[in-house]
Amino acid sequence: MTRYIIQRVLSLIPTILGVTLTVFLLLRLIPGDPAVAMLGEHAAQENVERIREQFGLNRPLFLDREALEQGDVAAFFDSQYIRYLGRLARLDLGSSIHRRVAIADELRTRFPATIELAMLSMIVAILIGIPVGIVSAARRASLLDSISMVGALIGVSMPIFWLGLMEIMLFAVILQWLPSGGRLGHAMEVRSITNMVVVDSLLTGNTEALVDALKHLALPTIALATIPMAIIARMTRSSMLEVLRADYIRTAHAKGLRETVVLFRHALKNAFLPIITIIGIQTSSLMAGAVLTETIFSWPGIGKWVYDAILGRDYPIVQSGTLLITIVIVAVNLVVDLSYAFLDPRIHYE
Amino acid sequence: MLESREAELKESNMVGKGRSLWGDAWRRLISSNTARLGMAIVAIFVLSAVLAHFFWEYNPRTDLDYSLKLKPPTLIPNEEVPSVHPFGTDKLGRDVFRRVVHGGWNSLRVGFVSVGISLVVGGVLGLLAGFYESMALGRVGQGILLGGIGLAFGAVSAWLAGQVFQVPLFVLLSIAGVFYGTEPTRGRVPEVKPGRVLMFVAAGLLISAVPALLVSPYTAAACGILGALTGGLVSLPLGGSVVSNVIMRIMDIILAFPAYLLAIAIVAFLGPGLNKAMIAIGFVGIPVYARLVRSAVLSVTQADYVLAAQAVGVGYGRLLLRHIVPNTLSPVIVQLTMGLASAIIWAGALGFLGLGAIPPEPEWGAILGDSYRFLTSGAWWAVLFPGLAIMLSVLGFNLLGDGLRDALDPSLTR
Repeated sequence: MTRYIIQRVLSLIPTILGVTLTVFLLLRLIPGDPAVAMLGEHAAQENVERIREQFGLNRPLFLDREALEQGDVAAFFDSQYIRYLGRLARLDLGSSIHRRVAIADELRTRFPATIELAMLSMIVAILIGIPVGIVSAARRASLLDSISMVGALIGVSMPIFWLGLMEIMLFAVILQWLPSGGRLGHAMEVRSITNMVVVDSLLTGNTEALVDALKHLALPTIALATIPMAIIARMTRSSMLEVLRADYIRTAHAKGLRETVVLFRHALKNAFLPIITIIGIQTSSLMAGAVLTETIFSWPGIGKWVYDAILGRDYPIVQSGTLLITIVIVAVNLVVDLSYAFLDPRIHYE
Repeated sequence: MLESREAELKESNMVGKGRSLWGDAWRRLISSNTARLGMAIVAIFVLSAVLAHFFWEYNPRTDLDYSLKLKPPTLIPNEEVPSVHPFGTDKLGRDVFRRVVHGGWNSLRVGFVSVGISLVVGGVLGLLAGFYESMALGRVGQGILLGGIGLAFGAVSAWLAGQVFQVPLFVLLSIAGVFYGTEPTRGRVPEVKPGRVLMFVAAGLLISAVPALLVSPYTAAACGILGALTGGLVSLPLGGSVVSNVIMRIMDIILAFPAYLLAIAIVAFLGPGLNKAMIAIGFVGIPVYARLVRSAVLSVTQADYVLAAQAVGVGYGRLLLRHIVPNTLSPVIVQLTMGLASAIIWAGALGFLGLGAIPPEPEWGAILGDSYRFLTSGAWWAVLFPGLAIMLSVLGFNLLGDGLRDALDPSLTR
């Protein structure tokens, strides 16, 4: 098992290098000079040059051919990409070109915001999706099954940005029950420990802030949870139906076991692999889909931040933000693969 | 005697008409309620978009009437709103119904074209990866593989030394690797011969380092390392699994990306516009089809009928087109329908972010993005209807996809 994990982590290195290279290249290919974008069209040439020098934008992209001719091996490798990799290796994410803020500082609040929203949505999706799927499979072709599967199909087809807007219209504009955006009301203050507002308010015992934070989370969570919930429910149902046809289920029924025992102990356990796979895939797309939800609900997470940075040519933010999301996605996939062995003892990793 | 018996049997319906696999699937498809509903929804959207595009004139550039700004839906003309607006009007007084119907043309077009891009590129890559993972590369295939390696390394070396003629030299060296290499064999890994490797390393060193000496000794050293590496690489018995591995690792990298950000970055690189959005969405979808087709091809190439076809001497081209591709079609068709559904959502998302259609061109996502700021002032109609159009058309494709899956894979029918 340990050997397998090490192997998997090592095999991630080329993938992650590929991702850094792609982001790097794509950003450099996007027309527009970040130094000009920062100083404005009419900036003096020497100021532009100074900024380019300061951020290393005057270096060649990969390798310095002229330096090699002079025999300067260090300068040969002193390029934008290799400098970027070197900083990454030292975990130095650099600072934003436009706002001169250290990216690491900004990530400290933005990353937990995205994670908080994504995790809560996933928990809601799992807690509703799996039971609905089980009940639908157990009571196949019943009214309940039809209703929940039609609901799931509509959920799968939902454009979340539109669902979010409709929620805002109903709950924030017409009924005025819930706030339409942000993480906390203006008057609220929570001492930051993990920077996840819900966790922090729990840790500090600040119930007032907890309620407020949950109110702010409600609408984006529903919007974000809808699609994974529907997909999990559908997958649970079809996977359970497959398992419920097995002989050992008939045996279990014949032994006179209670239905809940058959469903949960015998069927669900064996039906769980495809469900956990789909949960993993959906977690990744939650992270990636953060751009839309965060735009609609003015959620101060990384999705919207990277999106703005792409349009503003703020290279360092795009590079670190994308890399971070990628690492989370890749890590989730690894955890899912490892959980197979845990859920199904027949699966061994050598 | 025999003929009359046959006719008799046919008469008595004991011998049915031959049914093809696809005919069977079609019958199953049209007998399913979900599929029929899906087809109906899809037909409504496709027809209305196509008919509107060709027969209902609309010029988004001149469509503007401030006196009708943000009016709620009206079905009966009155003094304030003298015309019928079933979906209301938007911030420029444009009829939302008209824009939604015309927007369908753009939204559906983005869906179809981008799925087409993903399918063609991803499908071909997946086919190659799956096929060559279990088949030996032919001479031509190996020539392309090694030639590609030579081209890539040669380009770097030529750039370093500033000597363009190094590229053809590297390619020639690689091609030599094909002819002086081991006969491609199936299943068996050919052995590595040290003598040959040494010879190729020396040749690579020669063709890259000697011309680079004219520039500087350091350049020559760097080029020499590159040349020796290339020589060593092309002397190895590289086979089909290398092709498959290279393709699939590239797919892994694209898949590891946060998909929305990749699409946004591609649009930022290409510039906004519907065509650019199609390319971006299509590109992001490539790995899905590559992986699907590869796994389908892998399972088909293990089948006995493929072995039988090879045993009677069927060539690769015929084997692929007649025996392998038709048997991988059904999962691809299902994925295509579902892929269309998600491509339409993607198109809407990019349009919503302002990266799709350029205003005032109508597109469902763009109409939404245009109007959502007026939601707080109560103008819900300009947001509700375009979103409903996205949701319903996507629902239609999903229903059809569900129906297709049941129809094409009878083993799933319970």
